[in-house]
Amino acid sequence: MKTLEDLREFYNTTLLADLEVLERQRKDVVRKIGYVGIVVLCVAIVGVLFVGSSMAGQPMVILFPVVLSAIIGGVICYFLSKGYVTEFKSVVIRKIIHFIDEGLSYSQESYVPKSVFMMSKIFTRKPNRYKGDDLVFGKVGETKIKFSELNAVYESGSGKNKSRYTVFKGLFFIGDFNKHFSGQTVVLPDTAEKLFGRLGQKLQSLNVFRGQLVKLEDPEFERHFAVYGSDQVEARYILSMSLMKRIVDFKEKTRKKIYLSFIGSMVFVAIWYTKNLFEPRIFRTLLDFEPIKEYFGDLQLVIGIVDDLNLNTRIWSK
Amino acid sequence: MLIAIVAVVVVIGFLVVLYNSLVGKKNQVTNVFGTIDALLKKRYDLLPKLIATVKAYMKHEKEVLEEITKMRAKAVSGRLSDDEQVELDNIMSKALGGIMVAVENYPELKANENFLQLQRTMNEVEEQISAARRAYNAAVTDYNNAVEMFPTNIVASMIGYRLKKVFEISEEQREDVDAEKLFKS
Repeated sequence: MKTLEDLREFYNTTLLADLEVLERQRKDVVRKIGYVGIVVLCVAIVGVLFVGSSMAGQPMVILFPVVLSAIIGGVICYFLSKGYVTEFKSVVIRKIIHFIDEGLSYSQESYVPKSVFMMSKIFTRKPNRYKGDDLVFGKVGETKIKFSELNAVYESGSGKNKSRYTVFKGLFFIGDFNKHFSGQTVVLPDTAEKLFGRLGQKLQSLNVFRGQLVKLEDPEFERHFAVYGSDQVEARYILSMSLMKRIVDFKEKTRKKIYLSFIGSMVFVAIWYTKNLFEPRIFRTLLDFEPIKEYFGDLQLVIGIVDDLNLNTRIWSK
Repeated sequence: MLIAIVAVVVVIGFLVVLYNSLVGKKNQVTNVFGTIDALLKKRYDLLPKLIATVKAYMKHEKEVLEEITKMRAKAVSGRLSDDEQVELDNIMSKALGGIMVAVENYPELKANENFLQLQRTMNEVEEQISAARRAYNAAVTDYNNAVEMFPTNIVASMIGYRLKKVFEISEEQREDVDAEKLFKS
């Protein structure tokens, strides 16, 4: 397990050199964005004056050239920064991952496929807009793992009635579980029980789409999660007293909403993040330990699932 | 008149719902007990192989191993009641747990391929039995709640459903097994 001190040393000896190169690229990008910004502003002003003089008294129409130039400006800025972002990730993020565990590989453009996401049965709504990036894969000790950022959205309706529902946004992790089992067990954040106590439990047991409700013994665990499973005994075989405690500790460590499922002898963990992870700064200097610490923290958190859930203990027949 | 008939129908409907839920819970208990039974058989099938493998090495535990063999014979004889099965299962779990801990003292045994394979399978079966016991206790608690709480307690007393006993969940045994202490009874 790498400590913060190890990271600081790594930052000073290895990363700073790369960051300095990237910093020059970043400043270049900022300069170009500045130019684009000025051009967009001029075009917008000209457009407003032109439209304003020929169509007086129509405030909505005056906004049109402003919006149009802003959109075009935005697109140009995106493409300008894309090269820099790709370069940053393939150098810095890759090195941090390798630093945490040499058995891991990184693929910036790849992500967990939709079929695997649906296979986990954590989220029942099938998203129609599905993308992601920053795939990490490999072996940690005895355990094969894979995780990436995902953004899965369900859009319905068209035109005025368009509604957007975020199915999941955050880090999605898959790991080889250390026990054999044949059914499905899903661990979901428990809102009903927190609010309604016993009545909440009764409501949960009526959720027919999810399979049988499994009521477990650890009160702390039950407060945070509701478990649905295809088999009462198998769910308890997987969720031993010690694993339940580990899951609660992990949830408290992340301070985020987490979902788990156990299917096909694998464990799936979904951690909800509202922000995009592993993105480099554009408007602030790169030569700073703070963002590196954050990348390291986020990566360490999810790679640490293997240790936190004790997946490397292989004392059963798997 | 019509209102009275409707009231009676509603009450009967309500009682039927309660009755069915009680029966469902009772059956769940029986169901899980069946799973425990099947898993215990799995364990008893593994025991002869385990005993044969460790007997040559574990000189100090000779008595415990003999007792385990005797207990196994009793368990598969089919002459035990449900309660006696439960009792035996508890003692057996403790004894097996102790043996697994004692293995730490025998490095040649720990390096034996056959034994390692057996140990993994034993761990699996023991954990499954433990999971089944927990599932049984959950089913019994659910059933007992229905038998004692309002309004299902009315129906329960009408059809003579009694409270059931839960399994004792023994904490993981960390001490070496002491033949005398264990088989005092």
